[in-house]
Amino acid sequence: MKRWSIVIILAFVALLAGLAGMLKNGNAQARVSLLDMSKDANQWVIPALDYSATRNSSLKEITTDNVKNVSVAWTMSTGATRGHEGQPLVVGDTMYYESAFPNHVFAVNLDDYSTKWEFTPKEDPFAVSVACCDLVNRGVAFGDGKIIVDALDGGIYALDAGSGKVVWHSKNADPEMGQTVTSAPLVVKDKVLVGVSGGEFGVRGYLTAFNLSSGKQVWRAYSEGPDSDVLIGAGFPGPKNAGRSTWRGDQWRVGGGTTWGWYSYDPGLNLIYYGTGNPGTWNPSQRPGDNKWSMTVFARNPDTGQAKWAYQMTPHDSWDFDGVNEMILADLKVNGQQVPALVHFDRNGFAYELDRRNGKLLLAKKFDPSVNWATEINTSTGRPNVVFAKTPREGVNVMGICPAAMGSKDQQPASYDPATGYFIVPTNHNCMDYKAFSVKYKSGFPYVGATVKMYPGPGGNRGAVIAWDPTDGHIAWSDPERFPAWGGVLTTAGGVAFYGTLDGWFKAVDTKTGTQLWKFHTPSGIIANPITYMHNGHQYVAILSGVGGWAAIGLAANLAEPTAGLGAVNAAQDLSRYTQLGGDLLVFSLPQSS
Amino acid sequence: MHRCLTLMLAATIAIVAASQAPARASDLRVCADPNYLPFSNRAGQGFENQLAAYVAHALGERLVYYWDDTRGPGGFDEFVQNTLNKKLCDVLIDVPYASDKIAPSSPYYISSYVFVFPKRKHYDIESMDSPDLRNLRIGFEADTPGENGLKMRTLIIHGVPFDSADDDNGSPADMLGAITKGRIDVGVTWEPAVGPFLRSMPQMEVVGVPNSRSQGSPEQYVFPMAMAARLGDTATQRKLSNVIAAHKADLVQILARNGVKLYMPNASAL
Repeated sequence: MKRWSIVIILAFVALLAGLAGMLKNGNAQARVSLLDMSKDANQWVIPALDYSATRNSSLKEITTDNVKNVSVAWTMSTGATRGHEGQPLVVGDTMYYESAFPNHVFAVNLDDYSTKWEFTPKEDPFAVSVACCDLVNRGVAFGDGKIIVDALDGGIYALDAGSGKVVWHSKNADPEMGQTVTSAPLVVKDKVLVGVSGGEFGVRGYLTAFNLSSGKQVWRAYSEGPDSDVLIGAGFPGPKNAGRSTWRGDQWRVGGGTTWGWYSYDPGLNLIYYGTGNPGTWNPSQRPGDNKWSMTVFARNPDTGQAKWAYQMTPHDSWDFDGVNEMILADLKVNGQQVPALVHFDRNGFAYELDRRNGKLLLAKKFDPSVNWATEINTSTGRPNVVFAKTPREGVNVMGICPAAMGSKDQQPASYDPATGYFIVPTNHNCMDYKAFSVKYKSGFPYVGATVKMYPGPGGNRGAVIAWDPTDGHIAWSDPERFPAWGGVLTTAGGVAFYGTLDGWFKAVDTKTGTQLWKFHTPSGIIANPITYMHNGHQYVAILSGVGGWAAIGLAANLAEPTAGLGAVNAAQDLSRYTQLGGDLLVFSLPQSS
Repeated sequence: MHRCLTLMLAATIAIVAASQAPARASDLRVCADPNYLPFSNRAGQGFENQLAAYVAHALGERLVYYWDDTRGPGGFDEFVQNTLNKKLCDVLIDVPYASDKIAPSSPYYISSYVFVFPKRKHYDIESMDSPDLRNLRIGFEADTPGENGLKMRTLIIHGVPFDSADDDNGSPADMLGAITKGRIDVGVTWEPAVGPFLRSMPQMEVVGVPNSRSQGSPEQYVFPMAMAARLGDTATQRKLSNVIAAHKADLVQILARNGVKLYMPNASAL
């Protein structure tokens, strides 16, 4: 009885808080849809700027001519030291952002840089021990006056944007099952889309839609299993129950296919797009079959979760090429034809251009010439022409596979600049030797494994930022980077593209030519994504600095001599020659008089 | 419950003693090592013996063992070849779920490699990357993920190998003895191999080794474990999976009583 009354009081308080929030944010904002808000270049209300995930802003106070004068406007410590892979949002006069674990969330007043409110979720400490690749986070989402926060332990929090009070709390992962959440959610109409990480632990991946007002789960689409679990129904153009039949026995139950990347949305077609990760067991020899629907681009109806189409990029993945990278929606001329396209730069080193209405493959080409695990993608079947000599298999040390497991590009998002027609893509350029072991049982002691040795690709650079011309799929320019380019790209109508590097440089280049125009050294390495916004009539560019993630691991691993044996300098000490851990927000602008 | 299991166990041992009778269709023919505690022995003292007895009881079948050394030349693979594959027995009780030369049932528990060290040392050890490990003498079982993890981090220079899986006279408890005697500071081993011994060693701290990717290569320390039938014997494979589905709580209780710790305990969804 008593408990019920508390629940009712809490509900009432939440209702009041909600009303207050609506009043505070003004009627205009309460009525304007997120879609319309995202068209206002002064703000940055969706993690990737817009539903098409272009990360291209129409702001142009900062230009190729004046960017050399850009300097720091203000900074702030995030209070966290792990990898910062996300980006802030700007809604009205407030900036919202989330740090790496322990996932501090801040609302910052852009007028005086004071903190309006701060929120840190209480997390299951077990999550720390099952997070694969550092304790990263990729940012918050906004919708209906709420800030949506994903915590590492799978907690999903809807906070009142005005007060920071928890409106609802839900759960999308169980760390004790090896599940964690690192991705940024996406708000689509009255739904919040949340993915899951943990492919290393035999998690069966899924994407979940929660109701934006209540936090109740509306649908969950698994990446493997029978069609009823994958939410594949009548009219789906593909084989039935392939999520089960392309696995040996029950292996689909631990099939991987996690969903820790980015999500985009086409309001006209009413379809959401995202990719799934690598299949469960590391050793490919142990899971014969295509392993659907791992490594797959999914198009789903956001209201029901039902799959409209699916395209598997890397059937029977043997290389760990997760397919989770962002899906950028752009209307393009491909091979001479105007098409509503989806463009995706995959870990596997191929750029895919699909007709986003039906998943038809229009073009697939290598965006790094060193890619050698496949010669090409067969455009009629959609399957890669795999090179057996570069395919990991049990007990064989396969040498010189390009790209390495971290791919020609990981989750760090590219940007589409309609002015030049280029996709500006941050890439990795590493190769690897890969030896896979079977699950063995040594009389009492289980053992499985794969040994991966990564090293710089041809040319010696470990990364590059490239301009991709989608009309015929060629590289227009390429800026080599010493390390994998693990930060996202922002392009602007001022003709300037911004990105950060692992060794802590925040750079501006000419979108047209790649010529470097400006750079600034930040407190820590950058693996996050720049944003831009207007405040009091001036353009600002913001970036989180704070190295970590798999990138830093790769950096450390790449620096270690392959022969590093007894008494060798510890790899982590090498990393510290270039940068230190530590989270900061940095905001830049042109010098302001007064 | 406990008394019931004890009675059952006693009955089983009686059955074992009389088990040289010709095979019957209602026999549960288990392949096992006669001399490898804490897993199994001829006297039925291992936790695998108790699990086998329980499964036989649940199926209403007579438990019959076929004994062979799992630690001889050729190791476990040879054991499988000489027993299961020669149809001298039909069931293995405790093997990794993803093994490919046998037909595993659904998994019934998940356990982990662990760090073991005296509580009074207060080491700060959470993973293979914990700085404290750099200054410690670390015991490991040869050719296990623990050895691989130490090699990757060049910690192997402080390593002390144990080889209980290859040595008929060795025991997984040897590592615990070395910790007690101060010959090593910390041991890395498979929890089920030492859990039964640790029941009487409350002075020991036991910390799970989390799976890792911190060195670039995937490193797995947590394993789902299953029973298994001969490759192609889908009837027995299904039978075992059904028993597990119906009696998982009891199987897990037997493990717990024996000091086998479960990691990721919500493995029911596997």
